[in-house]
Amino acid sequence: MVPARTRRACVFGKVPATESRSRPRQIGGRMDLFKKTLDPVIALAAIAVLDIFLFLIVGSWTVGGGETMMTGLAAEAVLGDDIERLPFWSLVFQPDWGYWKIYISLGMLFGAFVAAVLSKEFYLRMPRRLGEWVMITIGGLLMGIGIRLAFICNVSTFFGITPEVNFGGYLAISGIIAGAWVGSLIYKRILEG
Amino acid sequence: MSPVGECIVAFVFGTVVGVLVQRSRFCNTAALRDAMLFNSYRNTKALLVAMIILTIGFTTFISIGEGHTMHFDVGLNTVAGLFLFGIGMVLAGACTVSTWVKTGEGNIGALWALIFTFVGMFLFSLVWSWNFWPPAPASMTGKINVEALQLGFSNAATLQEKLGIPAIVFGLVQAAVLLLIYRAILKKEAAQQARHKAAQEERALKKAMTEKASGKTGEPVAEPAQ
Repeated sequence: MVPARTRRACVFGKVPATESRSRPRQIGGRMDLFKKTLDPVIALAAIAVLDIFLFLIVGSWTVGGGETMMTGLAAEAVLGDDIERLPFWSLVFQPDWGYWKIYISLGMLFGAFVAAVLSKEFYLRMPRRLGEWVMITIGGLLMGIGIRLAFICNVSTFFGITPEVNFGGYLAISGIIAGAWVGSLIYKRILEG
Repeated sequence: MSPVGECIVAFVFGTVVGVLVQRSRFCNTAALRDAMLFNSYRNTKALLVAMIILTIGFTTFISIGEGHTMHFDVGLNTVAGLFLFGIGMVLAGACTVSTWVKTGEGNIGALWALIFTFVGMFLFSLVWSWNFWPPAPASMTGKINVEALQLGFSNAATLQEKLGIPAIVFGLVQAAVLLLIYRAILKKEAAQQARHKAAQEERALKKAMTEKASGKTGEPVAEPAQ
């Protein structure tokens, strides 16, 4: 079942994928990867192998850390030196463009953009109803607060500390499963209502 | 490795992840939500396979003293934080990975979720002094400290160091548990498929019976009007 907000809702300037398919296509040079959907098991297995290399070179895959640093950099850009008055940004995460985890997130954005363009799946789409905007806003805020409180996100839970057999990973997984369950109940109620 | 080198490696890794996640439509939120709400395990299976590979890979290298393990304070704040995160990701319809990937595809809703994740992080950083849990660093001794629920340092590397058992042993145990969960899902899927097939056959049989029955009683509507 596809949630309402993921449906193609709004197109600005770009030709929707359905229309582009009706035209003669020039796919001679395009790799198979950009023509059909990849099995997620294969994709995640490949990511896991790469993550092992990353673990050997710099550290395992995380996203929340890079996002936190980006938040600090954005706050610094807005607040200037005033940011030093906030203990978190002066003691725990001093804004620094050289923090490697930022570039994992930017890489994901870039990679997804390239893949979407090559497979002709890039088009602007928006949630339709006000309720969806409200749900996404609350969801985003809760994710941000959650990452800050726990110091880890879902990626570091499932692809970082738990595979390192860190017992903290089990705490994290119990938290996220309980949260996803409660979230699913709320989501179901909203979908049905 | 130099900081610039680290950033380049991270960007290359991120780019490949972005391509693979976009092409496979993998979503961590769906891995949990779909399993709970719709009994659909497409993403859950991928998540488990990745975790099995990573567990064996990480603990193998930890056993020979290689790799960069994560070390930080973990406690009840981890459970509480991830609980809020879990609710948030289901409501937002995207996790930390899929917000970036969907934004890359042109999804404004995902970009909105990402912006508000940043806002949430900043808002909570304002109350960091309260968030800073004094018992956590005080109890961080590098040993297993179940009492204080500070399990952050109890990873495969420290267990190997303290107990003298190679990390891969713990890794194999964990991988076996993950494999059992994976197999249970496959079993459940097979049962779902069997039920679906049986229901389809039953429907086809019923349809055939109805057609046969209507054929026996004559075909009143088939009589051409003269």
